[in-house]
Amino acid sequence: MLKAPFDPVQLAIPFFVLAIVLEILLGRFGKAKANYETRDTAMSLSMGLGSTIAGVVFGGVVFATTVGVYQHRLFTIPMTAVWAWVAVFFLEDLTYYWFHRLAHERRFWWASHVNHHTSTHYNLSTALRQTWTGGVAGTWLLWLPLSFLGFPPAMVAIQKGISLVYQFWIHTEAVGRMPRWFEAVFNTPSHHRVHHARNPRYLDANYAGILIIWDRMFGTFIPEVDEEPCRYGTVKNLGNFNLLHNVFHEWVGIAKDVAGAKSPKEALGYVFGPPGWSPDGSRDTSHTLKAKWRARVGFE
Amino acid sequence: MIQLGGSVVAVALLVAFVRWLGVARPTPPLDAASAKALLDVEFPDHRPKATWIASDGAGLIARDGELALVLYKRGDGYVARDLPWSAVASLKPTSGRVTVRVSDARPTFAVSDDVWPPKELA
Repeated sequence: MLKAPFDPVQLAIPFFVLAIVLEILLGRFGKAKANYETRDTAMSLSMGLGSTIAGVVFGGVVFATTVGVYQHRLFTIPMTAVWAWVAVFFLEDLTYYWFHRLAHERRFWWASHVNHHTSTHYNLSTALRQTWTGGVAGTWLLWLPLSFLGFPPAMVAIQKGISLVYQFWIHTEAVGRMPRWFEAVFNTPSHHRVHHARNPRYLDANYAGILIIWDRMFGTFIPEVDEEPCRYGTVKNLGNFNLLHNVFHEWVGIAKDVAGAKSPKEALGYVFGPPGWSPDGSRDTSHTLKAKWRARVGFE
Repeated sequence: MIQLGGSVVAVALLVAFVRWLGVARPTPPLDAASAKALLDVEFPDHRPKATWIASDGAGLIARDGELALVLYKRGDGYVARDLPWSAVASLKPTSGRVTVRVSDARPTFAVSDDVWPPKELA
């Protein structure tokens, strides 16, 4: 099967809306921690709306490429087999982990992903702050090996949708910690708060989609500690509430840096180096920020 | 197009709902203690010698040698920027406000009089 018979994300939209309304009410009546700022929420929701339009624009290319790859598949995996769904669940989630890690640790892909992280709030509306430029960044290519293996494109699309729907509920401060066994295996609000935090302690951690086991396996897991509450946003927070600035600011930053590069090597560093990379090391990367933090903590 | 129109309306309604019932973070006017706490968090590697807090408490400028550390309110939080002190020292307040040019914004700060730079930073 090539085209998915349903889209989990589309089906979940009414639930998203109701959950956001509920979270706002819980925050209003002091039943849960939930802060909402009007312009911040407007930007998150507008990003979500715009991302669906961008998805339509790039959807044709992504679909055609995926089908093209599937036509040269190694195996034919039946969409009706339970084992196939179990396999695609794990493989898609592993793919998501590496996509997400790449999207944070290399500037070209960070430029597309950064706008998901620009909210200084952490509430359910933040989950909808999705990229408009993912099609350009090409991270969707990372899922092609699944189709090459033989998973039907519809199956991969449904599993990607399930992952995105799962990740909605973890964007909240209203939930503290889940039971220990759940925190050990699954991505949770606590783990994902760390991921959205800008405290040096928490940078570049917890890339998981559904299963946190990948972070534990690949050494990127950092637990949330009560002594250091998460501060949300990016290392250098946006200076305004301009929607287009949010979408394109990192792309513009790359273009300016490349235009001023003194050599092709420098230009490549600006594009594919870690966010914050500079030839003379005068800017901060996550690595240098963490090193400075460790030094401060050590001396204090 | 109908779906898009419906989505735009839904977004507008949700934003209106947040404006009505949403609870933003409390951001009372800065005082000396909260200003220091904010500077410690946003500029942990700096030890500013002097800090000036805007007269309405909605921002501050601190001086660390030839660097100006700027914190201004955006929504219910603060944005941190640094720029050369000379760029701040040369500003001219008008009508009780001074506007700072940072890379992606033009934050304005309330000044109690039109003396600039303020005596705390001079």
